[in-house]
This record gives sequence, structure tokens and C-alpha cells, in this order.
Amino acid sequence: MAKNEVAVAGVGLSKHVSKRRDVNIAELVWEAVNACYEDAGIKPKDVDAFATGNMPAFEGVNMPEEWGAGHWGAYNKPVLRITTGGTTGGSVAHGGYYLVGSGLYDMVMCIAFEKQSDGNSTMGLNTVALADAAAQLQLGVDPSFIAAFGGGAVGVAVYQASSYMKSSGCTTNHLDKVAALCRNNAALNPYSHLKQPGLTPEEVAKTTLLQYPIRFGHVCPATDGACAMLFTTGEKARKLTDKPAYVLSCASASDEAALVGIAGSGTTNVDPCEQESCKIAAARAYEIAGIKDPRKEIDLAEPYAPFAHQLLMFYERLLLCNEGEAPSILDSGSMNLEGELPVCPSGGVISTNAIGASAMERVAECALQIMGKCGERQVKKEVHKAVAHGWGGAVNLNVVAVLSDEPRR
Amino acid sequence: MPAPRTYWISSRPTGRWDKGGDNVDKEVAIIAYAQTKYEADANASRELQVLEVTVAALKAAGLKREDLDTIITANNDYLDGRTISNMRLVEPSGAWRKNESKVEMDGAFAMLYAVTRILSGDHDIALVVAESQASVYGTYLPGIMMLDPTFDRQRWLLNEVSAAALQASSYMDAAGVSVEQIAGVAAKNLENAALNPVALRSLKGADAKKVLASRPLCSPITELMASPLCDGACALVLASAKAAAKAEKPVWVKGVGFSHDSYLTERGSLDNMGSLKLAAEACYKQAGIDDPASQIELAELHECFAHEELMAYEALGFCDPMQGGAFFDSGATKKGGELPVNTSGGALGANVACAAGLTRVIEAAMQIRGDAGKHQVKGVKTALAHGQTGLCAQENIVYVLGGE
Repeated sequence: MAKNEVAVAGVGLSKHVSKRRDVNIAELVWEAVNACYEDAGIKPKDVDAFATGNMPAFEGVNMPEEWGAGHWGAYNKPVLRITTGGTTGGSVAHGGYYLVGSGLYDMVMCIAFEKQSDGNSTMGLNTVALADAAAQLQLGVDPSFIAAFGGGAVGVAVYQASSYMKSSGCTTNHLDKVAALCRNNAALNPYSHLKQPGLTPEEVAKTTLLQYPIRFGHVCPATDGACAMLFTTGEKARKLTDKPAYVLSCASASDEAALVGIAGSGTTNVDPCEQESCKIAAARAYEIAGIKDPRKEIDLAEPYAPFAHQLLMFYERLLLCNEGEAPSILDSGSMNLEGELPVCPSGGVISTNAIGASAMERVAECALQIMGKCGERQVKKEVHKAVAHGWGGAVNLNVVAVLSDEPRR
Repeated sequence: MPAPRTYWISSRPTGRWDKGGDNVDKEVAIIAYAQTKYEADANASRELQVLEVTVAALKAAGLKREDLDTIITANNDYLDGRTISNMRLVEPSGAWRKNESKVEMDGAFAMLYAVTRILSGDHDIALVVAESQASVYGTYLPGIMMLDPTFDRQRWLLNEVSAAALQASSYMDAAGVSVEQIAGVAAKNLENAALNPVALRSLKGADAKKVLASRPLCSPITELMASPLCDGACALVLASAKAAAKAEKPVWVKGVGFSHDSYLTERGSLDNMGSLKLAAEACYKQAGIDDPASQIELAELHECFAHEELMAYEALGFCDPMQGGAFFDSGATKKGGELPVNTSGGALGANVACAAGLTRVIEAAMQIRGDAGKHQVKGVKTALAHGQTGLCAQENIVYVLGGE
């Protein structure tokens, strides 16, 4: 239990589109950071420390805050760079929680971003697979088998989706429904990328099949965007805003690196849909937050789902239902904006994926829903507790945060 | 000799570290550490090197993997040539199904994250692991990739060495320091490194003349004035007061300060280390140090280039501004001096990018515990350790450590 109460007092988001040709990285990030300063009603001089992260290989800039942070108000302040792949944004938010929770820094500006149009993300991701491929070739694995995992994230996702469908009874129809749900929610979110109001599952089912079972309509876009959040003590947050969102807990866990074990890196993660580490992180986060029954106590979930099946899979792995139950819960309408446990009211990662920022935008959406600042996409029920999730690495890293409208007792 | 001048300070961190009375002494302790031998081209993958130091550090702490609450790794995607460079370190760093994160900076900054995780009360025992292998990346490429991509990188003029050479010239000009004095720093550290069994590079009987006669890199910097990038890993185990109660000879974190300077081409001047000065001020306030030159008994500085050590003397308040050269000439920072600096040989002995700063923390802790072997300085109770990241030491972190 953190010494200090930790709360979110402000959130800022940039415009999210596929190619921001009008701004460079530092300027794109400034849009979000400035929005956050304005939202919280503070000035850069009020901030004690910054935490930031992105996936540097995607833009082709090593430690972009070295030349960017001065433009975000970080002059002569600590700037901690935390990067963990797909979970980066979540990890940066966790950094904010610990920096404030430790009592060392009272006001921490957390910044996560990605400007994918500046580089080539799939090329950046392939460097992850390169070491795997080399080891597999050495072991005599058939190159065509290795190639099946190629194509960046999609290659891994189809394997995971098939495995999830087999174990849960989820059908391709459910994937279409998830995509339609998220894109319709995204249409109500001014900061989302792919807005498709009125999109139906039938229309999603007609999109191109990339590799079974994933269709074009089930996949996230590549986005340019940034997200900033102000983490501060409960006391200061109450002065800055009428209704802060308290961060009750953060937890992460890592499975073994996927596909094959390489010398010194242990065993192989056989089934990428198992996500045991997500269950461990969720259980730990609920425990610290004092949540005994997440199914009853959690009002809203923002799982990290760049592919449609992951929304259902992570809903289960976040311990919000039994394994295999998520597809029928989707059918019941409970995940809709007016449902019992709305999921991805922001439109989710499947609608907007500025990769380094995505896991933080899950935390940001939970905070905004609790603060009641979501406008058209504000869920119908009152949100007391929400869970935000991030996923990444070689399908093996999971981060979970629990937010609430009340400080931890 | 130019007149001493004061640095312009725009704003300082507030929060607990700056509140003076509210100190954190005896809250977080270093209870164990391990280093690989630093080599030009290690016959082991980074995973194996991380495994080696993790196992050794846990053994030294008398702990099992199960005892670890959180693991923070320090590495960099550009150094590893791999996106998500922490991902393959999950198993070798003992992080499997544990709370793990990565700081993409030097390990000394990763240690700060681990310290906050312990201070928050959520975790009791943390492992910090830092690594990189210079044998697998283009020597100056990661530094070039740090530059503003639109302008500075395109000119292809600036890199770690040429930027450092600009800084060295600027500092020599401002402070009236001679190239012989800078070479003297390199000679001191290379001589010290001869007694450090894990150092990569050393030179017995080194003097300024030999340093100046080495291969010129970028005037005024010669090869022996620049730290040798190499392969290696190091690890550190941190514990809360509760968890450290059983530990032998815990070394306490008495204070820490951290600051980020402006981007290379946007700094008012390169002739001082403004962010190191701010970091030191915050750290000293926390640790209750008002006269660093007399209260600190030993310092381990992360000097990627020899001139940075002289500049750091000033920023850390060991001497007045612009007096770094004179302070060095007084002999105070030699092994037998009043304030020995880099008795391990410093980063000039071995510079593993992302690990060299954490190595400084480990060396300072070794001195306090009396574990430093041949390079042990007697009776060290309070020591300072410094880490840096970025071109021309853009980001700096300072720790004051103390024994019982």
C-alpha cells in the first residue's frame, strides 16, 4: 500500500490519426502535454518529475525525450524513461503511481506517445522476431514454420486467436461483434482514430481475411498520437479538481518470452492465449486495491485489445468472469456503453493504436470515466472502480491498474 | 583565471526530497551486488551475462528468486538491436511471473525507480539489473540516433565523441583548464583501474604524457581520455528497512537527486554541468550534507570522458566553479587523497552503456562495506555515486550512500 494516496488530476490527449505530417514528435507530444496542463490547471513549474516512454525503434529516434522533453516543460526536472514494448504506456503510468506513492515527488507528469508515420513499425517489430528466427534455424526448425509467425504482430495474433476460440467457444461472429462494438464507441470519442458509426458485425465479416481467423476489420490501425496524465497526491488532486480518479494499485507480471527458449532465457511459452501473467497481475492488483470480488466490484474495464479476440480473452484473464464465458457476456449486451460492465468505452486499441501510448490511454479512459469527463461516450452507470490493462512484449508482458472514485481505505 | 560564477537555476524539484527534514535515511538499503568482468567481446550472450549477475547477487544476499518482489532492468533497444530489449531478460533476471519493468537509461536511474517502488510500500525486495554489449552495436550509432532527427542527425557531424570534444574545448576555455590536466585525470583513473579485477582497461604507471600520446579521436580528446565501451552486466539488490534487518552490512541510501538538462544544442553553454549541480543539491539536502568536500569521503563518478570528472568536481561542490583543474592538481582526488574519486578506475576503466552508472553505485557500496579488495580505501562511511545518460551528460543522478 503506497504511503501517499495517488490520484490522477488531469488527462490530455492529442489528435489521433494515421499520419501527422503537420507536426514532429516533440510537437505532437506537446499537444497532449499542454492539454493535460490545462485540464489540471497547472503550469510546467508545478511539476516535480516526468515519466515518459514510447517504442523508440518505431520512429527511429533513440531516447526522443533527450531533444523533446525541453519542449514539454521538463527543463531541469527529473525525466525517467520507462519503456516495455506494448505495455510502455501502462508502465509509464505505473511509474507515476510509484514516484508519487513513494513520497519523493508530489506532481508527476506521465507522457506516452508514438508517431508511427515517422518510421516503420513492422520493421521495428521484426527485430523482436529476428533473434527467435536465428535460434529456430539453428535448431533445425522448418523455415516455412518460422515464416508462419512472420508479418509482425498479426502472425502471432492469429495463433493466439485460434487457440482462444478453441478453448472458449468464441466464434468468428463474436470477433465481428467486438469490432463493431469498439468502432461504434470510437465514433463517440473525439480522440479516437478509426470512427465507424453504425458499423455492423455483418459489415466487419465482409472485410478481407488476413489470416484465419483475423479479418482486416478485426485489426487495430497504426496511429500517431500522444497521451499525458498528471499523477499527484490525493491531497493535491482534491485541490486541483472536484472529482479526481484515485489509483488504488498497479501490478505487472511477465510470462516466459514466447515461441522458443533461447540460451539463458529459459523455456517456451507454448500457448499465447493462456496469459497466466495477466491473471497474476490482476489478482495482485485487486488484492492491493482491497477488491475481493472483481466481478461485482469492477464497474468498467479497458483491456488492451489491438485484435478483436483479445477483448474477450483479456476480459476473462482480468478475472471478470470464468474462462470461456466472455463470448456469451458479449452476446448479453453487458459490455455496451449502457451495459452492466462496459468494456472499452473509448473504442479500445482496436480503434486507436499509437503503440507506446495505447496502454496509458487505457488508464486515461478509466480516469476520465470516473471523473465523468467522457461526454458522449460516458457510460450510463456510475463508475466507482475501473480496471485498465496493457499487454505486449513477446505476448508475455501484462500490466494492470485499478482506479477508483474514492481513495484506498 | 576567470572569476567564479554562479549557475542559473530555473526551478527545483519539490516533493519529499526537497523538504529537508523529511529524510529517508534507513528506509532503503543496498544489501548485495554483483558484476561480470567487463570485456571487449564477451564469450556469452546478454542473457547469460544477466543470469550470471542475477544468480551471484541473489546468492550474496542469501535470497532465493521467490523472495524478489520486483525486478527493474536497465537496457536500451538501440544498444540491444532489438525492440523491447527487456523482454528476453524476463527469465535470466528472475522476473518470470513477477512484477517487472524496464528503465531505458543507465542502471543508476533504474535504481531510483526501484527505490520508489520500495518507498511506496508495495514492495520490499528489488533487483536492479543493467547490461549491454558494445560488441554488438555500432560504437557511436546509438548516440547519433539520440540527436534531433530533422536537423542535427542529418548533418552527420555530432556524435558522442565530437559533442564531448566541443564540451571539453568549451570547458577548457572557460575554466582555464589545460589538456594536460584532463589527461592527468585519465592517467589517475587508468592507474586505479589496474587494481580493479573487473576493469577492462588499465595502465600501470600512466601519466598525462602517455594519455596524450594515445590515438587522437577528436581534438582535444584522445583514446585514453574516452571511456572504452564494452560488454558486461551488473546487478544490485535493494531492500526495505524491514527486509534489510537481517542483512549483513547494509548500505543505506541517504539521498538521491536527479535532473535532466536541455538538449545538446539548446543549452546556454556546455562549459558546466547544470543538471548535475541541481541533482547534487537535491541529494545533499536530503542527506543533510552542507559541505560535500569534507563530509563525503569517497566518490565514484560516471565520467564517459576525462574532462567530465573535472566538471563534476565543480557541479558536486567539491570545489568552487571553474576550479576543477586546481582541485585535481591538489591531489585530493587521488587514491590516498582527502576525497578519492574513482578508485575503481571509473568509466575510463570500463564503460558498459546502461550499466556504468550502476557500477559506480556498486563500487561506492563496496567501499563502504570494505569489500573493495585491492582498491579498498580505509574507513569510508559516506560515499557518493553518480550516473549519467545522454550526450554531454544531459541527465544526471547522484546518490549519497552511508554505512551503519
